[in-house]
Amino acid sequence: MKRLLIVTLVAAVPHRTAGAQGTAVVYGSVADTVGQPLRGVVRVVGSGFTSVADARGRYRLAVPPGRVTLRVSHIGFGPVVDTVTVAAGDSLEHDYRLRASALELQPTIVTAAKHSQLLDQAVTSVALVSDTDLARRAVSTVDEAVNLAPGVLFLNGQVNVRGSSGFVEGLGSRVLLLVDGIPANQGDRGGIDWDMVPLADVERVEIVKGAGSSLYGSAALGGVVNLITRDIPVGFHGRVRGTAGVYADPPADVWTFRDYTGALGGLDGTASYGTERLRGSLTLGGRHSDGYREQDRSDQWETSGKGEWRLRPDTRLTASGAWTSHQYEVFPTWCVPNACDTRGEAFQPFRIDPSGRGSYTRSSKGYVAATLDRTASPTFVWQARGSWLRTHFTDVNPDDQSVSNRLGAEVRGVLRPFGDDDRVVTAGVEGARTDVTSDIFGDHTQGEFAAYGEAEGRLGRLRLSVGTRLDYLGVDAAGRSVVVSPRIGAVVPTAAGRWRASVGRGFRAPTLAERFVTTRAFGFDVIPNPDLDPETAWSFEVGDALSLGSRGRLDAALFWTEARRLLEPTFVLVPPDSVPKIQIRNLSRAELRGLDASLTVLPVPALTATVAYLFLDSRDLATGSVLSFRPKHLLTLGADYRWRALSVGGDFRYTSRIERIELEAVFGRDPRVAAKVLDVRAGWQHGPLSARLLVANALNYIYNLVPRTLEPVRTFSVVLTWTY
Amino acid sequence: MRSRVSCAALIAVVLACDAGLHPTTACPGICGTVTFRGAVPDSTQAVYVVAYHTFPHSRDSLFTFQPPVTSLQGLPLDGAPAFYALPVDAGRYEWVLAVWVKQGFTLATADSTLREAGYYRDPADTSQPGVLTVDTSRPDSIDFMIDFGQMHPPCRYYDPPCP
Repeated sequence: MKRLLIVTLVAAVPHRTAGAQGTAVVYGSVADTVGQPLRGVVRVVGSGFTSVADARGRYRLAVPPGRVTLRVSHIGFGPVVDTVTVAAGDSLEHDYRLRASALELQPTIVTAAKHSQLLDQAVTSVALVSDTDLARRAVSTVDEAVNLAPGVLFLNGQVNVRGSSGFVEGLGSRVLLLVDGIPANQGDRGGIDWDMVPLADVERVEIVKGAGSSLYGSAALGGVVNLITRDIPVGFHGRVRGTAGVYADPPADVWTFRDYTGALGGLDGTASYGTERLRGSLTLGGRHSDGYREQDRSDQWETSGKGEWRLRPDTRLTASGAWTSHQYEVFPTWCVPNACDTRGEAFQPFRIDPSGRGSYTRSSKGYVAATLDRTASPTFVWQARGSWLRTHFTDVNPDDQSVSNRLGAEVRGVLRPFGDDDRVVTAGVEGARTDVTSDIFGDHTQGEFAAYGEAEGRLGRLRLSVGTRLDYLGVDAAGRSVVVSPRIGAVVPTAAGRWRASVGRGFRAPTLAERFVTTRAFGFDVIPNPDLDPETAWSFEVGDALSLGSRGRLDAALFWTEARRLLEPTFVLVPPDSVPKIQIRNLSRAELRGLDASLTVLPVPALTATVAYLFLDSRDLATGSVLSFRPKHLLTLGADYRWRALSVGGDFRYTSRIERIELEAVFGRDPRVAAKVLDVRAGWQHGPLSARLLVANALNYIYNLVPRTLEPVRTFSVVLTWTY
Repeated sequence: MRSRVSCAALIAVVLACDAGLHPTTACPGICGTVTFRGAVPDSTQAVYVVAYHTFPHSRDSLFTFQPPVTSLQGLPLDGAPAFYALPVDAGRYEWVLAVWVKQGFTLATADSTLREAGYYRDPADTSQPGVLTVDTSRPDSIDFMIDFGQMHPPCRYYDPPCP
């Protein structure tokens, strides 16, 4: 009876609003190719108007009058993008048939240019991780979801896009994280808290490769990762997801470190309710892991919420936020002779160096944001937003703590003079104030102010994009710097694919941690350097996206980045001391160039296969040596097969042996191998229930990417999801 | 096309069959495990494992062992079997033994403050010391027992031996 009441309410709400002046309605059905109804999501691209089809596949969606682009999607099926024109007060029936596929072959909408555009219009490479990818991989965290994207490699939690960041213990990421367009790198260290947003909230991830500072400013030196959270559909909806799993024991008896099998588990739930005017959602979740090695336990609690208020058909206010509390033991480095009893082994990868015994971190992080979107006219939309990002960590052994707050605001307008995508002008201003209170970074503030603009237009077959951004940075009323980041790019369709080329400048301002850190590391004092300058880079790219019809898609790009004044830790002698100290300085010039290619094919409709390959040639231009922590080859193979309610698939990732690491004198004799990791998975879906089995690192390949830090062993997990 | 996909999957599996990192003995020359018998004397300063190229038949050759004194590492004396690793040069070694060192040791008092506490024995004739050859292969199971109740002064092995 209650269910009947809810269905009645949900059905009634759109009817009541559809008749309102100033809106239009699109309605119809969503089904698969044999006519089975699907609870597909129908969304107006770029506006947040969303509807979820009911159990009979029927949907009803209020839309702004005029020409709108709809995206219809359902997990496990290729989405459909459709453009319709409907007058105010009118209604239009459209039925959609989705093809079973783990691959999106239809035109895809991305927001890399700070406005909605087709993927094929982007002048730089954009990799996508869709909700389908997230579901079939059955991953639990955002970084796991991003990790297998073409050209992306995680080094102990630090993201590299085409080798951008290397590994610097999480400090100063050269990739910018955005959550719905809001910058979310830590205010003090500049790293990325991948656990800040629950994966349950993420609808898709866009990874913009190459320098993106012309629109996004600091930290977008090597790329931008934008997490797009889920829209809230009309009606009651809910989702509960439970995860349970176990870690493999060490493959050799001599590596045994505990007398039980490590386990992991988690539970998260999302509930949402929406009408045409008001919508809200809340997510709660928690996870525990015993870890796969000694001193590796973690507990995490997370919550997030989102609310939308449609003030008028053309105006929407969105408030969102997330908060995560994460307590985790820290695995310092693995155990080697003379540091502990290695049982006669050259190293004990599952056991810790006892000097780090008892190390753990309490880390809390979160954000709140409010965004006002307004479609002022058919040719002009604008957006204003404000955000507050807070991170707080407390380390034990060594004892450190830091609190940072970042207050940000942005106003942006997008003008389409002719109401279409042939001419688009995007312009905006952005500001942020960051304060840090820390026993190792001190108490400091940093201000950032920026103005940017980019124009896109068609010149015959050529689509040209020109833009620039001016950033002003001030630290503690001193240390001011100004950075100009221009970019020019073009896309031209040919018989041999859609070619793109771009040249852009990126930069990363030194983080407050890099400027002011005072601590000890590796037995040396680390001293501050307030006079650091931003590091900069020029990125060039030429690429081609070739559609293979319904059979697949090929994307390949040659890229070249020259970076200057890269920030690196180095040993310095400060008279009268005779003992060297560690200080971060603007040191090296570097060059990163290579090939980034991906191929997706559907040999038969139910089978999807992907190949992605990154060749990276990186050099320190001062010494001629290979840059540290940049593997030369990165190969990813994937395949998924779907048969009725069942699916099976897998991914294989090969990472060539890392040729050079930092502190070669200390760690250079440690064993290093290429990484060869196979993940396999199986899934079953029946109505609102789905079950997925994932065996990560199925062959239990034992390897490390950064010194003395074991990567995850074979992990067997089951994910059960119920969706209402 | 299906066969190509299968081939690609098979290649991936074969590539990954190399097991990556694997247990590696930390043996820089001669390694093994010593076991203990008897109570550790209260006057113990340390116990070391050393190796001689040539059996020391006189006081003059008593300090010709490897590794150098500066590289010696004392064994843990908690009664549990202990792994030892001697970073020694390649070559032939006639005697691998544990040396007990008494508190107050000096070079002048070596004969009274040092004791042989056990040695690696020839598997074919356990009354004789075992002879080792260290080359590219590192002997890693040179196991023997330390018996604190059966320790002998170095002069026992001189030529002639002490009374």
